[in-house]
Amino acid sequence: MEKDKSLDKIFHELKERAKELNCLYEVQELLNKYDLDIDEICLGIIKAIPPGWQYPDVCKANIFIKGVKYQSEDFPETEWVQSSNIVVHDETIGSVNVYYTEDRPTADEGPFLKEERKLINTIADQFGLFILHRQLKSIFAEQKKSDDQQKSEWWVIIDLLKRTDPKLLIRISRRMVNFLFWRGIKEAEKLMEHFSPAYKRGSDITLEINKPYKKQISSDILVISNDIFKVAEQHLSKQEILDYIQKWIKEDRSSFLVNILEDSGSSLGEIGGAIERFHHLEPQGLELSTPREKSLSVALTRRLLTEQPHFVNIAKRIIEVKDFYHLIERIIFPLGSHGRLGGKSAGLFLAQQILKKGTNKNRLLNQIKIPNTWYITSDGIFNLMNYNDLQDIIEQKYKDVEQVRREYPYIIQVFKNSLFDPEIIKGLSLALDDFGEVPLIVRSSSLLEDQMGAAFAGKYKSLFLANQGTKETRLIELMDAIAEVYASTFGPDPVEYRAEHSLLDYHEEMGIMIQEVVGKKVGKYFLPAFAGVAFSKNEFRWSSRIQREDGLVRLVLGLGTRAVDRLSDDYPVLIAPGQPALRVNVTLEEIIRYSPRKIDVINLETRTFETIEIRSLLENFGDEYPQISKLISIVDHEHLKKARAIGTDFKKNEFVVTFDGLVTETQFVKKVIAILNELEKTYGNPIDIEFAHDGEDFYLLQCRSQSYSEDSQPAFIPANLPNEKIIFSAHRYITNGKISDISNIVYVDPQSYSELTNQRDMLAVGEAIGKLNKVLPRRKFILIGPGRWGSRGDIKLGVNVSYSEINNSAMLIEIARKQKDYVPDLSFGTHFFQDLVEARIRYLPLYPDDEGNVFNEEFLINSKNILPKILPEFKFLSGVIKVIDVPKTADGATLEILMNASSDEAVAIFSDYNETK
Amino acid sequence: MKNKAYNPFEAAQKQFDHAADLLELDQPTRDLLRNPIREFHFIIPVRMDDGKTKIFRGFRVQHNDARGPAKGGVRFHPQETIDTVRALAMWMTWKTAVLDLPLGGGKGGVICDPHTLSLHEQEQICRGWVRQIFKNLGPNVDVPAPDVMTGSQQMLWMLDEYETLTGAKNPGFITGKPISLGGSLGRKESTGYGVMITVREALKEMNIEPKDTTASFQGFGNVAQYAVQLYQQMGGKVISVACWNQEDGESYTYRKLEGINYAELISITDRFGGIEKTKAKDLGYEILPEEGWIEQEVDILIPAALENQITQENVSKIKKSVKIIAEGANGPTTNDADEILNEKEIFIIPDFLANAGGVTCSYFEQVQNNMNYYWEKDEVLAKLDVKMTAAYIAVSDFARTHKIKTRDAAYIIAVDRVAQACHDRGWV
Repeated sequence: MEKDKSLDKIFHELKERAKELNCLYEVQELLNKYDLDIDEICLGIIKAIPPGWQYPDVCKANIFIKGVKYQSEDFPETEWVQSSNIVVHDETIGSVNVYYTEDRPTADEGPFLKEERKLINTIADQFGLFILHRQLKSIFAEQKKSDDQQKSEWWVIIDLLKRTDPKLLIRISRRMVNFLFWRGIKEAEKLMEHFSPAYKRGSDITLEINKPYKKQISSDILVISNDIFKVAEQHLSKQEILDYIQKWIKEDRSSFLVNILEDSGSSLGEIGGAIERFHHLEPQGLELSTPREKSLSVALTRRLLTEQPHFVNIAKRIIEVKDFYHLIERIIFPLGSHGRLGGKSAGLFLAQQILKKGTNKNRLLNQIKIPNTWYITSDGIFNLMNYNDLQDIIEQKYKDVEQVRREYPYIIQVFKNSLFDPEIIKGLSLALDDFGEVPLIVRSSSLLEDQMGAAFAGKYKSLFLANQGTKETRLIELMDAIAEVYASTFGPDPVEYRAEHSLLDYHEEMGIMIQEVVGKKVGKYFLPAFAGVAFSKNEFRWSSRIQREDGLVRLVLGLGTRAVDRLSDDYPVLIAPGQPALRVNVTLEEIIRYSPRKIDVINLETRTFETIEIRSLLENFGDEYPQISKLISIVDHEHLKKARAIGTDFKKNEFVVTFDGLVTETQFVKKVIAILNELEKTYGNPIDIEFAHDGEDFYLLQCRSQSYSEDSQPAFIPANLPNEKIIFSAHRYITNGKISDISNIVYVDPQSYSELTNQRDMLAVGEAIGKLNKVLPRRKFILIGPGRWGSRGDIKLGVNVSYSEINNSAMLIEIARKQKDYVPDLSFGTHFFQDLVEARIRYLPLYPDDEGNVFNEEFLINSKNILPKILPEFKFLSGVIKVIDVPKTADGATLEILMNASSDEAVAIFSDYNETK
Repeated sequence: MKNKAYNPFEAAQKQFDHAADLLELDQPTRDLLRNPIREFHFIIPVRMDDGKTKIFRGFRVQHNDARGPAKGGVRFHPQETIDTVRALAMWMTWKTAVLDLPLGGGKGGVICDPHTLSLHEQEQICRGWVRQIFKNLGPNVDVPAPDVMTGSQQMLWMLDEYETLTGAKNPGFITGKPISLGGSLGRKESTGYGVMITVREALKEMNIEPKDTTASFQGFGNVAQYAVQLYQQMGGKVISVACWNQEDGESYTYRKLEGINYAELISITDRFGGIEKTKAKDLGYEILPEEGWIEQEVDILIPAALENQITQENVSKIKKSVKIIAEGANGPTTNDADEILNEKEIFIIPDFLANAGGVTCSYFEQVQNNMNYYWEKDEVLAKLDVKMTAAYIAVSDFARTHKIKTRDAAYIIAVDRVAQACHDRGWV
């Protein structure tokens, strides 16, 4: 029995344990149900507890949490209670309590078993953990929730805009619709209708053409902006939406610039203001999309620089809007100006940007400087004329060239006596403050000048100013110089040139460049160490080994005027950058004879531009001259030596300007090549530049297209031409081309010309050529003369003519006849030459004394001279000037000139040479 | 077109034949002296700056070295012909012989135009030229010198190549070097001084004191300037100088009857011998036309500029006062004018002799190199005086004794000395 009783007891106890475990499982299960809230869980636990206790029928439970009591039904709280605290983070937040509503036999803890104590504690612990978990989860969720909210910051922006800048919101919304529509999003089509009345699905616009569309009022649009962004939300990521909104807002900030530039009525002042505003906004994150950047820079190029399509096309690849800021700061313009800067300024600005951008590719393009420059816009000249009632002067260009020539000196005076608009004076005054007391050059930059295919090279004036003294003196001198440059627009040469290029009817608007002269003070003078011009294509080959692509540099000491202008009494040093070792002069005697002897400088004391002897400059100030040891060589007992960096005694040593050190020891030539290549590549055609070097830095002063005619095909020169049909042949410095149908030869006999005894007769030869140029058939005659055509200084070296006196000829030929022990130097000038190229007048040097050359002097001298017949007033020059009617002299044949650069051969033959074969 | 082009070598042979006839030289001697004793023709391959190789043709002609190492220039000329080189080599033989220098005659060159060559390429040509022929050159064999389109720089490259190949310093290999590298002092002065030394000797023979004479010069370059300088030191009075004016493209004669001031005139003269016209005017010089120099009432005329200046046309302008014409330039007198001058009994000091101061100084350069001891300028000029005087006296005596023109006398003495040397050596 005892045994049975104990068995029963064991069985009973096991049943109790099973009940307890069951209870625990149920509680656990409840706590694992994430979707239940705390109330449900509490109620569930209360329900699950009684079956787990020994006397379920009288067992009730409740839970207190943070002052809230959970219980299934009302029951009286008896004395028979078992409790366990719920602890979270060491803090009692409530309790689980189990009651017996009726008395039961005493067990381990009152009527409760010790196992039941364990159970209730476990439930309380578990529940505490559960509460902790729930708390953490809600913190994480909150965190997550706040993250989610941040991602839709764009809603905040939209909201903000709705309240602060509804117009901007409309523009943004509109761009979003467009964007969605372009992306092919169906819903956007519908929304489009709100903006564009013209766009209606299925409607035929043409039917409603006369009916005005109802315009959407903006408040509606504000409403639909919500719809728009809801659509956007479905198709774009939050980040995308935010990015677009930000970008569009930024771009919207630059719209003022777009508006100003699109408005052709906006003045330069307004544009300047807008660019300045843009400049100040930029650091605050004002960015432009690539297309907008491009369209703005094109608009600015066209408004400020030039309308030229070729130029604009290059510029848009290179110039950025921000580049204009520093430019516009330095532009002087009349109120309400619509002017531009002109060709020279535009060319320099573009070149500057090209080189700046090329720096990444080529280190040599580093540190190429542009001198400080101020500009007056092209309408400045009309402003001056209007201000002084000089409108009549515009008619000048329609007058006869002779009259223009006669009146020109008065025009200059009129301009010089004119008053400037106070607005311009203000600008000039600012410019002078900016420059300080440094020498300046005032250069023309006309809209017609330097355009592709029309080089007015040297037609307009450039003037140097010492710019020393009081501000008032400097200002007066500056205005005087500007007036003089303006006046040069009405000079005879430009007028003639424009007439010839059918440019007369265009307004010749003249921009002005006021540029700091590059240089250093040497003694009382101011000058660059050296300066020059460089051409990307060489048209003056002195060796068959030099290719056109090798380019050409004309180098001089001091101001570059001596490299640009034709010199009658001196020589620049010529270098082909592609073949710098092939120099023009080889023997010591040649090197010395053809080296520069003079130098252009600004005398700071007399405040004038001067040409002085290099020798005397260096004897006095040689030690101050920048980089002089790289520019000269020493002649020591007939031996050419490198100049030492120090210790050259300029008084004792004989020296010669060779630029040897510069060419062989510095990066100069490589730098020039790099510049020419980069500019030529970007321009897409040959270019030429002017530059100066102060001993430290390379300064670019000018850049323009070097233009060529299409007649540069090499002519085929038949072998075995009959000698009697040849007038002349040549084998040096030959270019390519063929000139046919020449009916007249004008031959100035070198011998007779040199025998003319007085200056007056020599000048008369030039005048006669000018008249012949007018009466002979255009481009059907060639001019052959001694030495240098257009010699400005010593006219014994060549016939004194200006470009307008030879501009109708087909070819200009210079004869270098050996005179005593020397062969005269032919014109290697650039200005004249470029004019010839522009006008497609060919140039050919003849060396009749070279072996293998034919020169039919007999024909030229003894053929019938028609000069007395056509210009009786110049009959007295019949011995010097021979005018030959070719067909009448040569049985109807005309003259042909065939030129082939690759074989360095040119020949002038009668057109019937074939028939005699 | 001429049927037969002028051949300089044939002309030189003809001139030789004339002297040989007078000397009644035997045929083998004539055959020997009519032609160069050795000729070298060779190829100089040069790697050009562009990496391509170009082939140049080089020459060296040794006309005769019986009296000593051949001596003569190296020319860079695009249209060089072997006959020109032969003629010039022969001319050098006679020139060294008339001065009685222990040297023979040679000439060389390369067909090229330095105007189409870089300095580096020229250097390669110079070095290539030496490499091809250095075994037949040397201070005791054949001594090159500068010539057309070659100068001190080219000489140094050649010397350097020679010294590298032979492994020893040998500055006497070549002349015309810069002073700093073995050149001789006094070279600049030598030709002009040489001219005036012969004039001095001629005056001595005429028993005229230089201080009692006046002179007129054509040219005011290197030769004339030093001739004027020495003449003034001798006490002579120069009353006019003619020179080319680059600016005007013509020549003028600058005259000051009381005598030009050398220092003053040189200060207004450029390095090419051109006098500044306006400054000369300011200094009180009369500006006369080009041919003014020849018409002056002077004792001595010195054409020291160009060829063919005294011609049939202007020879009559020469005043009766003129006693001596010293040819400072090469060939200033045309053949027909020469005849007339002889008829007028004007004493001519031929170019051959008068302007040989230059080659004499080259010889001195070599002598100093070979002993590696350098003279002061005074020493060089003193030795020049000795050589020139001796040469002059020999020619003058011969001409007087045999009643022939000095020009012929100089030539005959030269040919005779060379022929004798060949004979003594047993060559003929």
